[in-house]
This record gives sequence, C-alpha cells and structure tokens, in this order.
Amino acid sequence: MTAVAPRLDTPDAPVSVPISTRLRRKPWKVAVVAVIVTAGLFWSLAPIYWMVTTSLKNPLEVTRLNPTLYPHALTGQNYGELFGQTLPFSSFLENSVVTSLVAAVIAVAISAFAGYSLSRGQWRLRGFTGQIILATRILPLVVLVGPLYLIFLKTHLLNTYYGLILGYTSFALPFGAWMMKGFIDAVPREIEEAARVDGYGRIGILFRVVLPLTLPGLFTTGAFVFMDAWNNLLYPLTLIDSLKMQTLPPGLLTSFTGQFKTDWGGMMAAACLTTIPLMAAFFAIQRYMVRGLTAGALAGQ
Amino acid sequence: MKPRRSPWFDWMVLPTIVILAFVIGYPIVRTFVLSTQNYKVLSGLPATGVGFSNYQQLYHDPVFWQSLRNTAVYTFGSVVVAVIIGLALALLTEHMAGPWRYIRTVLLTPWAVPLIVVAFLFRYMFDQDSGVVNALLRDLGLIHSNVHWLTSSTWAMPTVMLANIWTAVPFFFLVFTASLTSVPTDVVEAARVDRAGTWSMIGRIKLPYLLGPAMIAVLIMVINNFNDFAKIWAMTQGGPAYSTTTLVVYVYQLAFSSFNMGYASAIGVVWLLLLMIFAVFYVRLLQRASR
Repeated sequence: MTAVAPRLDTPDAPVSVPISTRLRRKPWKVAVVAVIVTAGLFWSLAPIYWMVTTSLKNPLEVTRLNPTLYPHALTGQNYGELFGQTLPFSSFLENSVVTSLVAAVIAVAISAFAGYSLSRGQWRLRGFTGQIILATRILPLVVLVGPLYLIFLKTHLLNTYYGLILGYTSFALPFGAWMMKGFIDAVPREIEEAARVDGYGRIGILFRVVLPLTLPGLFTTGAFVFMDAWNNLLYPLTLIDSLKMQTLPPGLLTSFTGQFKTDWGGMMAAACLTTIPLMAAFFAIQRYMVRGLTAGALAGQ
Repeated sequence: MKPRRSPWFDWMVLPTIVILAFVIGYPIVRTFVLSTQNYKVLSGLPATGVGFSNYQQLYHDPVFWQSLRNTAVYTFGSVVVAVIIGLALALLTEHMAGPWRYIRTVLLTPWAVPLIVVAFLFRYMFDQDSGVVNALLRDLGLIHSNVHWLTSSTWAMPTVMLANIWTAVPFFFLVFTASLTSVPTDVVEAARVDRAGTWSMIGRIKLPYLLGPAMIAVLIMVINNFNDFAKIWAMTQGGPAYSTTTLVVYVYQLAFSSFNMGYASAIGVVWLLLLMIFAVFYVRLLQRASR
C-alpha cells in the first residue's frame, strides 16, 4: 500500500451503516457464495457426522455393503463394549486425562514465570534466550525421542506418569513461554507502578496484579498445552511399554489393529469419546485463540 | 521514575531453561554423538565409534531419498491446498453477521478433533471395502471397482494428505479471518467509491494485508507438517512400499523397530541441519509478528 485513501468528507455516513446493506448483491453472486460455503460446511462436518452416527449403529448395519445414512436401529452397544473386558479403554482415558491435565497445570505455571521474566526482565541475554527457547519448538521430536528414551531408561522414568508429563511439559514450554510473554506484554507497566506505590512487593505484584489480569492468557495457554498433550502419539508410544499405562492415542492404535482392525463401530465410539474433551477445551478458548496465536504465534497442532 | 532493580525475577526463566536443557538440549548433543556410532539397542553390545560411515550409508540409501521426497510432497502439497481453501472460506464468510456468524465457528471444528481420531476417521471413510467414499463413488457411477485408497502406493499419499488438509484448513481460515478484520474500513470504502470490482478489491486491497500473517502461518504449518507423525503412522505406518514414509516415519522405524539408533541419529543430524535454515526465518518472522 503506497497511499492511504483520503477520508470521505462525511465521516459518519458510511461507517455507521451495516456492511451487509451496502453490498451490491447480484443473485448469481449470492448463489456462488452459498454453494461454496455449503460445500465448506459439508467438508467440515460430514466426517464428524459419519463418526457419531457409525458409533450408534449395530455391527450388522456398520458392515452393510451399502452404508446407511443414519442409524436405523440406535444402539449404545459400541460404547458398552469399550468399558467391557476386552479393552482397557477406561485406563487409557484415565492415563490421558491425568497426564494431560497435570502437564497443562505445570506448563502454565512454568511458562508464566518464564513469560514474566522475558517480558519484564532487564538481563542482558534476554532477547537471545527468548529466541533459543522459541527455536527449540521446531526441533523434530522423533529425532530427540531416541536419546530421550536412553536417558529415561537410565533414570527409571520409562513407563511412568512422571516421564510422560515431563515430555509433554517440555514440548509445550517454548510455545507457552512465548504465549505468556505476549499476554504479559499487554499488561500496562503503569499498573505495576501503581501497585508498587500501594506497597505491594514484587511477588504481590506478580500474583495479585499481573497474573489475574492475564487470566484469559493462562487459560488459553493451558488449553493449548492440554490439546498438544492429548494429541501426542509419539511420546507415549515410545516412552511407555505396558498397555495398562498407555494413553488414548497409542492405546487405541494398538487396540484397533489385527483382530479388531475392522471393528468400525467400536473404533468410532472410542473416537467420539476421545474427541469430547478436546472439543470442550477448544471451544472454551476459541474467543482468545487469535490473540493467543499472535502472541505466541504458534499453532497447537 | 526508573523501576528499582530487583533482579530475582530475571531468574524466573530458569526452570524453563533447565527442563529444556534436560529434555531437548542433551538429546541433541547425544544425537550428534550417536550418529558417529554403531549402536543397536537390543543387541546388548556397547556403542562403537564408526566415524562417518552412517553418513555414507545414508547417501546410498534409496529409502532415505524417497522419504525426503515424500516429506516435501506431504509438507508443501498439503499447505498449498489448505491455504487456498482457508482463504476462500475466509473471504466468503467475511461479512456474515447475526446468526450467520456461527458458520465461522462450525468451519473451525475439524481443528478440535484429536489427530488419532482424524486418522481413524479417514481410515474408515477411505476403507477399500466398507468405506463410504467408495460407496458414494460407486453410486455416482464414477468407479466400477473399489479403489484401494490406503493400500495402493498410488493413492496412499493423496489420501493421507487429504486427512492432513482437513485438519489444517481451520488454522488458515482463522488466521485469514482475523487478518481481514485488520483491513481498514475507510480503504475498503474508498475502493468501493472508485467502483473497484470484486477481484481487484480482493487482489489489490485485501491481499496485501493478508500477506504478512499468511507467511507466518505457512511457516508454522510447514514445520508442523515436517514433524507430523501421528496421522501418517496411524493411517499407513509409512506403507505401502514406503510410499508414505516421510523422514519422521523413517527415523521412528529405524530407532524403534530396527533399534538402529546410530543410523537413525545420522538422519536426525542431517534433518537438524535442514531445519536450522528454517529456524532462522522462523524466529525472525515471529519476532516481527509479535512486535
């Protein structure tokens, strides 16, 4: 953009009118938009619809040559079997919930401290340290997990919650620290000055003034860490050997291979239950997502 | 008034550094050492130094070169398609207000689906026998015999990429939707007064505002795809015939199926060097963005 357009002489006229009424609508344009947006909605929702409906069909209906569009006979059978004898689904679920939640809480705490230091600190290598921390996020986990396995073997962290939580936390820290730095940067320093005048010490300022103001930031960071941990397949697959200790991704992968490879109904029921916590986390922070992303500038995939 | 020096909070970054040094710093150093050794974990034999022979083996390893090619196809192919779909949807839903705005929320949902579930979903929908995609194509008369989506070396990569695109579109959609709000209203208004058509409005007025965020978003997604393990492993395990074996999958197989840590580390080192080039761009772009 070379030149900014000059303002119109009547500044209040166009701005106050809702944008939609100002659009010159041609019917064919509206039709094209409607078709493409509908296709977009279908593309986003059809797989999810298919997952939910399949999980509610009985085995006979699932394996029919011509799939039915909706379950003709609703059944909760697939869900019941998940909690039966054959699959340790409830222990997968428990392991996932415990490790992801604990990792989220720990990572948020450590990230908040790091973010405060990176935002307000006056030490000399601050910028450089921040860059190094950020750069570690792009390292391929799969390259690091080999040596990590050897360390965990020696320190007896294999097959433990501690090892998994440490892995998840370290994976989330670079992103979390930058995200928190972004949120803390947005807190005006004047507020801290005012609190100091009111007699607060450094710790008081941090815990009673700064962190409460970044509450959305803390939640957003936590939700991102939780989503990362919930999605992680590589760490539990390599750092956990016993099936009982597995989290959902590797546990389900092991369960639905071989004999149960084509138990689509059970697979989709497990998929539904695995999705619910992540959806809850995602939509809880959806409003803050853009700010979180630009602050930390990194996706939680 | 200058703030009083109270240096203790400078050290609050320390836990982060300690953890990263233990879980990321040390493994990097170890990777470099292992790459010059012959170390098969299960053999019970100690690691022995072999100089650069792992790197020589790598140079003559056709699977390595193929996995490098696959990584490039998977990474850049999915990003290009996802950017186009995400941009189109963002532009088309830009002015939706009132109850229509929930369309934007719905378009974000694939992001909230766990990666393992995405893999399962696409495995089921693209199953050669009971998959709904083959059934649909049969009904429409487009195919006469079932396509072996995930079990043929022709179709496995496109199918895995499609699953990846499905999860990536919401990310670009969100980035573009957010950036569109930063286009100043008076600029759009002035262009409208000048009777700018739909395409010149998009191309000359809006796209310049989207370029910066788009570059950062693409870079983030390239790195994510580069390191993507869950989707590919859960869908094809790199098969059939190495057609979906990316670098991640190959390194994983070498380290944890063949337990050949030395050779896996050599590939890891080459990979780290490639990533360093990316890292320089990445950090610079992100710093510009967070300013």
